[in-house]
Amino acid sequence: MKKVHQHPLEKILENRIATIDGAMGTTIRTYGMTEADIRGERFKDATKSLLNNGDLFSLTKPEMIGDIHRRFLEAGADIIETNTFGATSITQSEFFVDDPRERGGRKDPAFYQEIVDDSFLGSLAWDINEQSARQCREWADRVGTATSRQRFVAGAIGPLTVSLSNSPDADDPGFRVVTFDQVKTAYAQQVRGLIAGGADLLLVETIFDSLNAKAALVAIREVFDKDGKELPVMISAAVGRGGETMISAQTTEAFWNAVRHVKPLSVGLNCSLGPDLMYPFLEELSEKADVAISCYPNAGLPNPLSETGFDLGPQDMARYLGDFARGGLINIAGGCCGNTPEHIAAIAKALEGQPPRKWGPAHSEESYTGQIENPA
Amino acid sequence: MSESDSASAPQPTKAKPLRLSGSQPFTQQPGVYIMIGERTNVAGSPKFARLIKEGKYEGAVSVARQQVENGANVLDICMDEGMIDGVTAMTRFLQLLGSEPEVAKVPFMVDSSKWEVIEAGLKCMQGKGIVNSISLKEGEEKFRQNAAKVLKYGAAVVVMAFDEQGQAATYEAKIRICERAYRILVDEVGFPPEDIVFDPNILTVATGMEEHNNYAVDYINATRWIKANLPHAKVSGGVSNISFSFRGNNKVREAIHSAFLYHAIASGMDMGIVNAGMLEVYEEIEPELKALVEDVLLNRRPDATERLVDYGEKLKGVGKAVSEKKAEEWRNGTVEERLSHALVKGIDTYIEVDAEEARVKLGRPLLVIEGPLMAGMSVVGDLFGAGKMFLPQVVKSARVMKKAVAHLTPSMEAEKEARAAAGEVVKAQGKIVLATVKGDVHDIGKNIVGVVLACNNYEVIDMGVMVPCEKILERAKAEKADMIGLSGLITPSLDEMVHVAREMERQGFKLPLLIGGATTSRAHTAVKIAPHYSEPVVHILDASRAVPVTTSLLSDEGKSAFVEQHRADYEALRKAHSAPKLTVVSLEAARERRTPIEWRAEDLPAPAFTGVRVLDNFPLATLREFIDWSPFFHTWGLKGIYPRIFEHADHGAQARQVFTEGNALLDVIIEKKLITARGVYGFFPARAVGDDVELYTDDKRERVLERFHFLRQQSNKEGSEPCRSLADFIAPRETGLPDHIGAFAVTSGIGMKELCDSYRAKHDDYNAIMAEAIADRLAEAFAECLHKRVRDEWGYGCAEGLSNADLIQEKYRGIRPAAGYPACPDHTEKGPLWRLLDVQANTGMVITESFAMWPGSSVSGLYFAHPESRYFSLGKIDRDQVADYSKRKGMSVAEVERWLGQNLNYDPAE
Repeated sequence: MKKVHQHPLEKILENRIATIDGAMGTTIRTYGMTEADIRGERFKDATKSLLNNGDLFSLTKPEMIGDIHRRFLEAGADIIETNTFGATSITQSEFFVDDPRERGGRKDPAFYQEIVDDSFLGSLAWDINEQSARQCREWADRVGTATSRQRFVAGAIGPLTVSLSNSPDADDPGFRVVTFDQVKTAYAQQVRGLIAGGADLLLVETIFDSLNAKAALVAIREVFDKDGKELPVMISAAVGRGGETMISAQTTEAFWNAVRHVKPLSVGLNCSLGPDLMYPFLEELSEKADVAISCYPNAGLPNPLSETGFDLGPQDMARYLGDFARGGLINIAGGCCGNTPEHIAAIAKALEGQPPRKWGPAHSEESYTGQIENPA
Repeated sequence: MSESDSASAPQPTKAKPLRLSGSQPFTQQPGVYIMIGERTNVAGSPKFARLIKEGKYEGAVSVARQQVENGANVLDICMDEGMIDGVTAMTRFLQLLGSEPEVAKVPFMVDSSKWEVIEAGLKCMQGKGIVNSISLKEGEEKFRQNAAKVLKYGAAVVVMAFDEQGQAATYEAKIRICERAYRILVDEVGFPPEDIVFDPNILTVATGMEEHNNYAVDYINATRWIKANLPHAKVSGGVSNISFSFRGNNKVREAIHSAFLYHAIASGMDMGIVNAGMLEVYEEIEPELKALVEDVLLNRRPDATERLVDYGEKLKGVGKAVSEKKAEEWRNGTVEERLSHALVKGIDTYIEVDAEEARVKLGRPLLVIEGPLMAGMSVVGDLFGAGKMFLPQVVKSARVMKKAVAHLTPSMEAEKEARAAAGEVVKAQGKIVLATVKGDVHDIGKNIVGVVLACNNYEVIDMGVMVPCEKILERAKAEKADMIGLSGLITPSLDEMVHVAREMERQGFKLPLLIGGATTSRAHTAVKIAPHYSEPVVHILDASRAVPVTTSLLSDEGKSAFVEQHRADYEALRKAHSAPKLTVVSLEAARERRTPIEWRAEDLPAPAFTGVRVLDNFPLATLREFIDWSPFFHTWGLKGIYPRIFEHADHGAQARQVFTEGNALLDVIIEKKLITARGVYGFFPARAVGDDVELYTDDKRERVLERFHFLRQQSNKEGSEPCRSLADFIAPRETGLPDHIGAFAVTSGIGMKELCDSYRAKHDDYNAIMAEAIADRLAEAFAECLHKRVRDEWGYGCAEGLSNADLIQEKYRGIRPAAGYPACPDHTEKGPLWRLLDVQANTGMVITESFAMWPGSSVSGLYFAHPESRYFSLGKIDRDQVADYSKRKGMSVAEVERWLGQNLNYDPAE
């Protein structure tokens, strides 16, 4: 069960802080795409508005998505994420299947069973994942070769539009709209597509419900075991003001205890809070976790009145992440919502020459024995 | 230390601790026994079994809750009973516990002999729990498979000392099986050794069978061996088994459990399943009973069992469970306090009783809801806003609220019927249509708002996600809704919300519109959405804030006041938004443009002394010489500069009059010593460190005595104009030059209160005001006079030879800025000043909670000596500096924003 060879990214992480790219969704919006653009030929008859279903652009406007990947790579990203945040049958169903609640019905496990069994949604999810991973692969290799620096493709696995921890029924706190197995099935489909398209890593991210994430991690394990191919896994949570996963309210250390068995390449925080508010929780995670730490916050809290929708500019982000690096807290850094290629370039520059956080298996145990030997 | 050199004695301190989690982490502490709550086990608790069988899950949840309240670290949950469908019951119960934040914080132990029940449990746990149990009973292959599955879900595992031949009874069998299991788990499955918990079988002693006599010893020895030889592994066991032969004799059983645990824990047992109510304190076991029990447990004599049985016969019937229900202290509060506590803590046990009591007390059910219940929910909202409560707790509070409301509903209905019968118009319960707008699929946040509203007796029509405007409006009309709530998480949804508002206006809707979701904001709602719709458009910050708004909007009495306040607030937001924002430079850039000063040793004279000096009873006659009279006239509403004001066409004569009368009063004050002037000042070695100034205990400048934090100009600085900070006027640490700073606090207000009171007692308000005006002048004069002295003591002032007029025009070198004034507007910087000079002890001056000085007629500040030092006004600063300043001061950003409200170039609410 022990890993025999070291992944090339692991080697990089020992020597320097790696950069991960910025936001896909908010960057897409700067291209001024229209409903007709996203529909293309394939989705021209869809009944619902698709414009905010950004993952579809990988199928209908691959040149635009490729341009974004290229810009992030040229800005200095070592890792780019696939455009697959919502590329599961469950999330896609929101755009393609009528919401039963519009007619007084409800969403429940029976509804979602049909969703995960639906062949249209299944092949759509596969196509997005496979195509997007392939496009990323191509750009990562192209820019990597041109710059003589290996780049990596992280298959982005988002949090879904449903929660395994929350009941939307006022009369029944034990109700769940969806089951663990349904979520797991949807994630397994996504994982297979990402691997087939050539992803180097799998990134379970923006985790606001740890049980959803657990289903993703179980799905990943099962796909690895069944298909006989294993990739490094990165895990990243979206936490609220108290450092808790926003919906399931699990605190940072509790979260790490719950995912540690995966032996991820990295664990970290992204989205939700801006970097300023994230600091104490990142510090806690950095202290507890014996793997690499990643951090790619939003460009501040959302501000609907600011032009970009977020408060922090490239220099602000560079300063904050530079501070984190000086604090010895991070191994992978980048940005989430509101971070453009300019932000990533500034971050990459600020991190140049900064030593990465040191970690090792001894770290957590030393502190344990230390605690006993020095009871004071 | 390597793992192989573990000696034969147990060394638990070297082991990696067991780390688990629910919503909170749990880390095993060295030498501390882990408490496993076992009342949620159908095999161990008939009460729990009955609740589950009868489908009374609410009662079953409260059993779990009590266990956590009583200090259980982990909950053992078992549904193994012939009449119970294990998979369904385990899933249902754990999902309910998932919605019970006070229980969900601890890790769960899923306990079953059926693998499918265990797996069902694993699928419901967000944290890291424990599986209880797996074993080699069905062979290695099955064992490996199950262990790999446990690892896949990320749980720890209890391994029973069982193999293909059956249960291990003897020491040899126990250690053989445990070692075999350990090697498979660690070497083949890759299971973390610290997550393996062995249960080497606690078997019943004192059965009369001789071969059972050594069972306790075997368990204890096996435990010791496991801890010594299987690195990091843990040991557990089902304790009540040991005393099974004494069923019905609780007194003896309790003693046996305690004595057994005492010895087993000493040998390294980490945790066990035991009813905490069935435990005697080891030290409190009667000595005779203890000896008899230990004879049995430790197999010390062949007749041990008979002796204990004989002794036990005598005790039969007198035994009782030790546990006493702890009185719940919060139950002693007033009914309002109890309701609030129940909502904040999510306790529904007494909510109906309390709601009823409040109904009787307040007279009407609605008053209970709009009064104490709503107050409790607003506490919940505050705590959530401050990051001190999390969403599941907000939802749980709402569910408690629901119970209270449900209890009150029949009496509200009755009241309504009575009013309807009397011919009044009665409103039905509020109805609200909720939807995530077109183009947006984010559901969960809206669902939570829906639950919270439904719990407050609203009829919630949740239309789901991606709902087009026309469908929302159609439905609202068809349902005759009272309100529409729109949700959205992504930026494009903001435009869709504007569109809905416009449509509502066009179609002549009369309903309030609520706006919520992560990218929305109060300011955005006020500026961009509300102007398009004539009815109230209200932003809801989070789920916890929804109900107060909807309640106000639907209240007969409260609505108009709420709407009026709401309109005023949003108008103010629009004004603030349209006010031109100053352009600011970044803090980084501002720091690069600090006041340019060429640091030279000759500009930094050393003061005559360092440390603190007190000036008691300072001569008022001296201070009189230093008075700047112009502000004195301002007090009387007379504008002008002394002495030219006497020539003023309109109020020259009046000025002369108050001047004469003021001086007459001053004569009396000085002559009769009616007030006392007291001050304290000092010089301190100092250096600028960034925008802070550090003061040191001595000239070596090593030990920091105090630290002042300054702010830097950021706004509207043209070209090369410096961005100043007071820190610029002290030599920076990097220069290595020895600089100093001065500090002072003076008052002429001692005795003022008595003096003014005496005038007011005589209804002589004129002289009371006059006395205050004079004292204020004296305080300023004191500061000026002391500054002159300070300049002399600093050396550079001796030769200045300035007149009082020159002094007033500040023609001298150096400045004396005060906290709360334009150059350093933060009043809280008086805190370090007060500590530095021990102002309160030395002068009797105090600073109030709001950092005002008492008595009035007091001045405090700092002295800067550098020739380049000058007064300036800070102006507006930006978020980056506020964040930086809050870090430097160790004060929250919100608090800094509160103190510096006037200087912020942004709206903190945005």
